[in-house]
Amino acid sequence: MLKMTHLSKVYRTEVVETYALRDFSIHVREGEFVAVTGPSGSGKTTFLTIAGLLEEFSGGAYQLDGVDVQGLNDNARSRLRNEKIGFIFQAFNLIPDLSVAENIEVPLRYRGFSAAERRRRIQQSIERVGLAARQRHYPAELSGGQQQRAAIARALAGTPRLLLADEPTGNLDTQMARGVLELLEELHRDGATIVMVTHDPELAVRAQREVHIVDGQVVDVATEPRLVSGARGRMQL
Amino acid sequence: MEVLPILSAMRRNKVGAILVAVQMAATLAILSNALFIIQQHLALSSRPSGIDEANLFAISNQWVGTPPDESALLQTDLAALRALPGVIDAYATNSYPLTNSGWGDGADLKPDQTKSSTHMARYFGDEHTLNTLGVKLLAGRNFTAAEVVDRMYNDQAAPTALIISRAMADSMFPHGDALGKSIYTSGNKAQTSPIVGIVERLQSPWVSGSSWAAGWVENTAIEPYHYLAKSFCYLVRTQPGQLENVLLLSQQKLFEIHRARVLDKVQTLTEARQEVYRDDRGLALILAVVCAVLLAITAFGIVGLTSYWVAQRRRQIGIRRALGATRGAVVRYFQTENLMIAATGAVVGIVLAITLNLWMVSSFQLERLHNSYAVGGAVIVLLLGQLAVLWPALRAASIPPALATRSV
Amino acid sequence: MFKYYFSLALRSLRRNVVLTMLMIAAIGVGIGASMTTLTVFRAMDADPIPHKSGQLYAVQIDNWGPADHSMDTGDKLEDQIDYVDAMALMHAHAGARQIAAYLTGFALTPANPELKPFKVDARATFTDFFSMFEVPFEYGAPWGSGDDDARAPVIVITHELNDKLFGGANSVGRTINLDNEDYRIIGVMAPWNPMPRFYDLTSSDFEKTAPVFLPFTRAIDRHLLSWGNTSCSKASEEGWEGLLNSNCVWIQFWAELPSAAAVEEYRRWLKNYAEEQRLSGRFQWPAYTKLHDVRAWLTYEHVVSDETRILVLVSFSFLLVCVLNAMGLMLAKFMGRSADIGVRRALGANKRAILAQCLIEAGVVGLAGGLLGVVLTVLGLLGLRSVLSEQILELTHLDPSGVCIALALAIAATMIAGLYPTWRAAQVVPAWQLKAQ
Repeated sequence: MLKMTHLSKVYRTEVVETYALRDFSIHVREGEFVAVTGPSGSGKTTFLTIAGLLEEFSGGAYQLDGVDVQGLNDNARSRLRNEKIGFIFQAFNLIPDLSVAENIEVPLRYRGFSAAERRRRIQQSIERVGLAARQRHYPAELSGGQQQRAAIARALAGTPRLLLADEPTGNLDTQMARGVLELLEELHRDGATIVMVTHDPELAVRAQREVHIVDGQVVDVATEPRLVSGARGRMQL
Repeated sequence: MEVLPILSAMRRNKVGAILVAVQMAATLAILSNALFIIQQHLALSSRPSGIDEANLFAISNQWVGTPPDESALLQTDLAALRALPGVIDAYATNSYPLTNSGWGDGADLKPDQTKSSTHMARYFGDEHTLNTLGVKLLAGRNFTAAEVVDRMYNDQAAPTALIISRAMADSMFPHGDALGKSIYTSGNKAQTSPIVGIVERLQSPWVSGSSWAAGWVENTAIEPYHYLAKSFCYLVRTQPGQLENVLLLSQQKLFEIHRARVLDKVQTLTEARQEVYRDDRGLALILAVVCAVLLAITAFGIVGLTSYWVAQRRRQIGIRRALGATRGAVVRYFQTENLMIAATGAVVGIVLAITLNLWMVSSFQLERLHNSYAVGGAVIVLLLGQLAVLWPALRAASIPPALATRSV
Repeated sequence: MFKYYFSLALRSLRRNVVLTMLMIAAIGVGIGASMTTLTVFRAMDADPIPHKSGQLYAVQIDNWGPADHSMDTGDKLEDQIDYVDAMALMHAHAGARQIAAYLTGFALTPANPELKPFKVDARATFTDFFSMFEVPFEYGAPWGSGDDDARAPVIVITHELNDKLFGGANSVGRTINLDNEDYRIIGVMAPWNPMPRFYDLTSSDFEKTAPVFLPFTRAIDRHLLSWGNTSCSKASEEGWEGLLNSNCVWIQFWAELPSAAAVEEYRRWLKNYAEEQRLSGRFQWPAYTKLHDVRAWLTYEHVVSDETRILVLVSFSFLLVCVLNAMGLMLAKFMGRSADIGVRRALGANKRAILAQCLIEAGVVGLAGGLLGVVLTVLGLLGLRSVLSEQILELTHLDPSGVCIALALAIAATMIAGLYPTWRAAQVVPAWQLKAQ
């Protein structure tokens, strides 16, 4: 699903070159739930922006769902993002001018779906996250957890192949965080491929697999799949 | 003060700063030129005509057909007008000041000149003219009744006496010895006309800035004629406060004397001044309105942009406040920033204003801009900027230092 | 998608009402000012007889010699001709059609003895005036060349005078009393007020059509003086005959020349005529003549005043300031939304989508500003009427094409103002997260 090989990312300023990622390889298979961890400044976020086609990389190769993304122009990248990737942001990033339903509609609009199809998908994903009653509300009128659910609904609406989550519970209190995490696990059980960046080891263990990044390189890959149900059990303690 | 940090902040917001500077430059260029044009037109329209405008009115008289004894009828009319209660004096003429319509001619010192010494407006009048107009006789004498003769449209005889304006006298006789001299007027090369009197000031009818008489608007000569023509004017001077009353009365009187006439245009000289300068004052007013709106738009634009910059730098300002910047320092920061932008704009604006003016001078009949207008415009624009930036700057100063500790 | 962007634009504009109002006000005021002056300018600069302006030529002849033109025109030519030349040119029939004309007037005594006589302007001319200048008729027809020859007391009156005297009824065949003489009405014009009044620009350029038209020959016969300008370079003999034989210029002369060849031929003929005058001793200087078609004539006579040009210049500079202003505000607005734009980009919007969204928002501001501008233009024109002289009245009508220009100008101005901010907005990178500040 997501395959990076010997990928590197260099930030250049006038005086210094900084490697944010160096000889970075990772392979996420279809249906996996991968947690990417590491200290701050390790390159987690860089990895995610490149994975999400928000930024170009400097060297190596990246295949997304079998498509080699190197050298694609802005339009093609925009389309790939739109069709294949769902984003879940730490700060939710709902557009404040738009209601929940309208926020969910944004990627569907760019996808070019008909009005009827858009309505169907909005309905489906909004119910999926349990916000049907709030679809006409504006982000400011929702709690943090509800906002994140709305954001997840927006990410799901286009039925993406890959969900990218960046500290999805970072701005939430424990109880809301738990709800959001359960939702992610549920999505995973239903077959979604999820890559989640977090610095919280508590969260990371609930993924199937944990990838640890230090100084822009993968240092430790826990290959042994863990049982999701087991993870949940521990959380309930 | 903190010029360098402001400069570096501006560098990161180049376009915004440039937009404000360009806007201020353009505002300055328009403003100074417009103010200059306003001043010129107002100055033009407030020149004195030399006559007692407040107590004068004019009646355009047009006979139906040709009355049997035109000359006698004119005399009867005049006698009746002069006898009306409240009337100081009255006379008949071909034309009068502030009308943009009349007779003009060259005036020569010698009979064989190829180019006239000067030009002048020709007013016909009689021994009552000076008293009616209220012009001051500086030297010489008034016409005598015996000098005044009837004149038809295309009569060619030279006038037997002339009373001229001082400006006219000075332009023909720079040494101040015009009185008693004789000059050639009205294209008659055979006869001269003696100058018997000089009046202090009597303006020609053509007062527009771009009229053919622009160069000799103060040059006039009164000739001792009763004008026998289909159309001519009566001028009547009244006692102060009697104008409206006499104006109605005199029309009734004239119709009583002879019904078959048209009193086409009856206007006070105050109205005549308003009408003749209407476009000049109108233009000044329009430009003034444009200037006012222009300043408002520029000011609000600065308010809008600065507010945006303040919003953008809220956190930065909070941090500065937390590090000990006073409210005054924050306000000064934005004022200094605006001053630097406005000063740049002002320098560009002054150049722009002068360029615009030079171009207008070459394209239109327009004078060169006085430098004081460009400088004055610059001062206005700088003050405007300071004023406009004050509100957003005060808002910035009210950002709490605590903002720095809050992560968004 | 357009509808979507449109609704997004409205939403975004509602979000910051003050900024939106400032932008709309800036555009509106700029459009209002520039359209107000442009309307007057367009009216002044209008072609009063569009389909024929290239075939009608004003004729100038130097009958004074180079030394005597001390005033006015730069090219040492007067804009009217004298009676001698006018008659010679009429009799020569050198053009397809030609007319001499001048403005005069009467005291009109109404049939009803209760009413006082009033003044009417009258234009003395020849029969071809009506066909040359395509004067429309409501009743009757122009007088014929027979009436010209016979110096007949016949007149054509305007629609307005017919309304005033006869309540709009067909008055052909009736008479009116002009300075104690009866004139028979032979035709009534349909409303006809070409602006500028190109065929006579000697006094006021935007005067209405004279209410009465009569044969030139009749006017000369009755010694009717010109009510327009009369200029002479030297004294003439006394009396009416003296004026007719003088070099005083007071007559406008027009020739209809339907083709380039006809123009060339007439030019040659006219030059030749002036040359003959030199040979006969009437002129003591080389032949100097000029032809201007209608549009060139309007330019030659400076129909569009300097003041108007200055106003147009000032108001368009003002519009420029307004555009800069709107540009700054729009930049602030779009950049203030860069977080939203980043999210949209992340969700799959390509640059074109962002461009379209921002441009449509700019367009909505332009449209609103344009509508405001139209309203302000109407108010501005009313304002002009109240502060400028009456002759401007005819020039202050905002026609549908004016409204279209105003709206197009507004949208174009806003688009120009919006281009850079929009481009900047499209450069916003797809954002992973809302960066603090």
